[in-house]
Amino acid sequence: MKALRIALPKGRLLAPSLELFARAGFDVPSQSEVDSRQLVFARGVVEWILVKDCDVPVYVDHGAADVGVAGLDQILEHDGNAYQPLTLPFGRCRMMVVGAPDAGPIETAVKVATKYPRIARRFLDERGLRAEIVELRGSVELAAVLHLTSHVIDLVETGETARVHHLRLEEVICDVQACLLTGRDAWRTDGARLRDLIDRVENAAFPKELVPS
Amino acid sequence: MRKRTENLTSSYPAGVRALLPDDVRRRRRVESAIVAALEARSFDEIVVPIIDFVDPYGGTADRESQRRSYRFVDRNGELIAVRSDFTPMVARALAPSLGRATLPLRVFYRGDVVRCEATKLGAQRELFQIGAELIGDVSPSADLAMLTLALELVTSAGVTPTVVLSSSALANQLIESSTGSRATRIALRSALAHKRSAAIVDFDDVSAERIALVRLIISGRATLDDLSALPETRDAANELASLQQRVAEETGANVVVAIDDIDEEPGYYTGMRFRIFDPRTRLRLAQGGRYDDLYARFGAPASAVGFTLTVDYLDGELR
Repeated sequence: MKALRIALPKGRLLAPSLELFARAGFDVPSQSEVDSRQLVFARGVVEWILVKDCDVPVYVDHGAADVGVAGLDQILEHDGNAYQPLTLPFGRCRMMVVGAPDAGPIETAVKVATKYPRIARRFLDERGLRAEIVELRGSVELAAVLHLTSHVIDLVETGETARVHHLRLEEVICDVQACLLTGRDAWRTDGARLRDLIDRVENAAFPKELVPS
Repeated sequence: MRKRTENLTSSYPAGVRALLPDDVRRRRRVESAIVAALEARSFDEIVVPIIDFVDPYGGTADRESQRRSYRFVDRNGELIAVRSDFTPMVARALAPSLGRATLPLRVFYRGDVVRCEATKLGAQRELFQIGAELIGDVSPSADLAMLTLALELVTSAGVTPTVVLSSSALANQLIESSTGSRATRIALRSALAHKRSAAIVDFDDVSAERIALVRLIISGRATLDDLSALPETRDAANELASLQQRVAEETGANVVVAIDDIDEEPGYYTGMRFRIFDPRTRLRLAQGGRYDDLYARFGAPASAVGFTLTVDYLDGELR
């Protein structure tokens, strides 16, 4: 039987993902293994691979992994075709428009900084706004603090960074949390095994006694 | 600068490659066997260009197809696309002469399609395909004939395949009959296409029973019986069940029905769809289906059913 390859993100979603799969009865890599430089872990009929957060949807979409865990931000930014059968109870945050202290509303923006150019473009297009998108790799809010742009579009978890820099939380674009992804061709050819995996993960994520009636 | 130049001269762009004599011999061996089998069944070869204007295909390509296609503006300012899908090009080529043709018409074609795929995962951007079409036969037996032909060509290459059957008609009828609201139809199709169970909310204009059915489909646990029970989807569900049974009986192949196999955009398919996989590698060896509206978009209403085979996937050494 071909091993199921599961792609996990190396970032902040890794620890809760491993913990969830362990609770679902899977033999997951240990913390010391994860801390090593090893990226592939074979465990019987499951092969775990650790990849950059933004690459999880790419691997699943192209069949290089059968299953993956990714934040909805990465899924929307990749704009791929993978199935998203399960929303997971961690990685909650919001994709938001954040303004500089002295900036007007987003409608007045000439430039918007973001790590998510596709999500930003879609949002601006839906509003009929033609602001230029400035793509950055990290510390996006700094663009508004230093007046590189009047607004940024980025993930906001607690809002503390924005408060510290006196930035204005202007608008929620979408709520974000972790999702379980499966590849289309994997589902077509190995659907029973994937449904079983999803059931196990769902039962671990949402134990029946905790589900409100 | 020097390093960059060296990289460019010592390798090809990701996803393309040259075939050396041994590989060419392997490919030609597979290709010749397929072409001989098609010619023996009275399929005539046609050749379509490797590039064409983008404009005539407006409405035939879904967003994903458009994204995969290499496009450029030529010296005359015309927007041109490199061939990434044979089927619409074959329809455009045949449509002007279809009125004078004796139907049903059997044609086949071969050549490369070039697709803009992600580069870092080893995906091929240039694929050598052979395809066949039966034009002007709307009967279920035409579906059966083309599917069994595709299966025969795959198995003759030494693969024991798995067939995944689905139906665009079934998906369309399910969604269309669920609600009169266009916005809700789009939301339902999107949720089904991505298996986003969380996106299925209690729509005001969709019955609770239908919501429950959509959830069941998303979970992958709905059966054809569930859809046969609905008047709106009964015919398409029964047709799919019948096709599954007849293909399995005639070929002995493992035929799986995937009623949850739904695309966000319907594309040009109108009826049954199939994908043929090598279960060991999960490579998609062939795919096809029925597209009864495609030729009408080029001015010649005619039903059609066809498939394409990716030749290099049929030989383990060429993959």
